[in-house]
Amino acid sequence: MLKGNVTIINRLGLHARAAAQLVRLASGFQSKIKLIRTDNAVIADAKSILSVLTLAASKGVELEIEIEGEDERSAFEAVQEIFKNGFGEL
Amino acid sequence: MKKIGGVIISHGQVANELVAAAETVVGELKHIAAVSIGWHDDVETAKNEVARAIKKVSEGNGVLLLTDMFGGTPTNISAMFLEHNDVEIITGVNLPMVIKIASQNKEMTLSEMAQAVESQGKQSIYRASELLMPQKLKKDA
Repeated sequence: MLKGNVTIINRLGLHARAAAQLVRLASGFQSKIKLIRTDNAVIADAKSILSVLTLAASKGVELEIEIEGEDERSAFEAVQEIFKNGFGEL
Repeated sequence: MKKIGGVIISHGQVANELVAAAETVVGELKHIAAVSIGWHDDVETAKNEVARAIKKVSEGNGVLLLTDMFGGTPTNISAMFLEHNDVEIITGVNLPMVIKIASQNKEMTLSEMAQAVESQGKQSIYRASELLMPQKLKKDA
């Protein structure tokens, strides 16, 4: 299992369209991908948009990514990348 | 994979806009249609439109009709289709329910999908301040 933290850097936070982008990306991997808010421990399944939206993650919120599965290495890199890119909204 | 079809049925343009909003979020939705019933539309005309929409989105595994409000005309017209057992109705449609039907990633029966959409709709209603500002609420109650 791989773990790591990311911070939301785009102004609108993890809103519906950004969440949809993340879900599309995450759904392309076999691995289980969990997102956990570090401040209140709310957990979301990165492959479900409605679950991701319940994180209510605005700009500045830190999330822990937890990935487990055969393709965890490439999934981990891809998910970190999309957060670093601010979902293409920077 | 065969998806459960979805028809959103409302008074006025709500149904069209809900589907448009869901498409903006998750992309084109071929298995979901909208029927907006005008305030003065004839019941027979509206019924035919719903029938057409059901046919259009059906992939053979059943169709879920999501209506705006129990007791309203869209629900009553939808109820005329209940005698076919490949149709279920859920009332009080909201955007998360449409997104739930939109994002089907495994094959489900109509009844399983209906249950999932019903509970999703209920769970998706939050008093946002409780979620976003829990400390403030405790203080002010």
